[in-house]
Amino acid sequence: MTDMIDKAAMALSSTLLLAGIVVLGVVEILDGVPYGAAPTTNEAGEVIAQPGIDPAIRTGLVLAGLAVLGLWGLYRVAVPATGVERRTADATAETQ
Amino acid sequence: MAYDVSNPLDGEFDLGRAGPFAPVWIATLRVVVGWWFFHAGVTKLIESGLNFTAGPGYLQGMSGTVLGPVAVWMATTMPGVIEAIVPLAETLIGLALIAGALVRLASFGGAIFMAFFWVGNAEFGHGVVNGDLMGLLLFVTLLVLGAGRYYGLDAVFERLELVENHPRLKHLLG
Repeated sequence: MTDMIDKAAMALSSTLLLAGIVVLGVVEILDGVPYGAAPTTNEAGEVIAQPGIDPAIRTGLVLAGLAVLGLWGLYRVAVPATGVERRTADATAETQ
Repeated sequence: MAYDVSNPLDGEFDLGRAGPFAPVWIATLRVVVGWWFFHAGVTKLIESGLNFTAGPGYLQGMSGTVLGPVAVWMATTMPGVIEAIVPLAETLIGLALIAGALVRLASFGGAIFMAFFWVGNAEFGHGVVNGDLMGLLLFVTLLVLGAGRYYGLDAVFERLELVENHPRLKHLLG
């Protein structure tokens, strides 16, 4: 059960981070100019093209991924790794 | 340990194959990141003490971003605290990372700072993946790796009787 929570937290946080940065980054490129997250302006400073993906969505996904990582850390404080898991981790550290 | 023979990418992971330079590099990275924040904080302290008035204004300017509600709330309810905590926390986070003391706690604080810098700075003129995001990820990396254990004081702290008797303290160290 504990192992499932660990795996779910790592998978969810990584998925959210990569979705916000890489997946939506690709979508933004495919959507055309501007390829970045800032709008394109003309010489008068008027906005002539908006990015395909609102930066708030991308930053929100990344921060959500980091929040999942943080919540998992808090969970690990509340429910420390079992003896077997800790011994495995210690054995791994000793081989380094 | 996760090991799934049906997935060639899913092996047993450890840092042993990273080579002997890895701990030195992690410690070096920690000190450099620490200097970055120490310099940012201590120069604010020198110039404006605990009255860094740009802090609340910066947070007010984050209105409309994904962290806007939190930022504006902090700026309006506790401007004096923000003015003091920004230079002080930056300096202390920097010192903690340089010394390798309470690195996970300090890195968590640094990540919070960088989240506000990333979301609030320059309207992503250099894209969403910019230097501020890399700084944020550096702090998370130091936190995940427990970078204070490599040539840092956390390695000493973890052997103290207090920490041995209260193992949960280890979550703030390393």
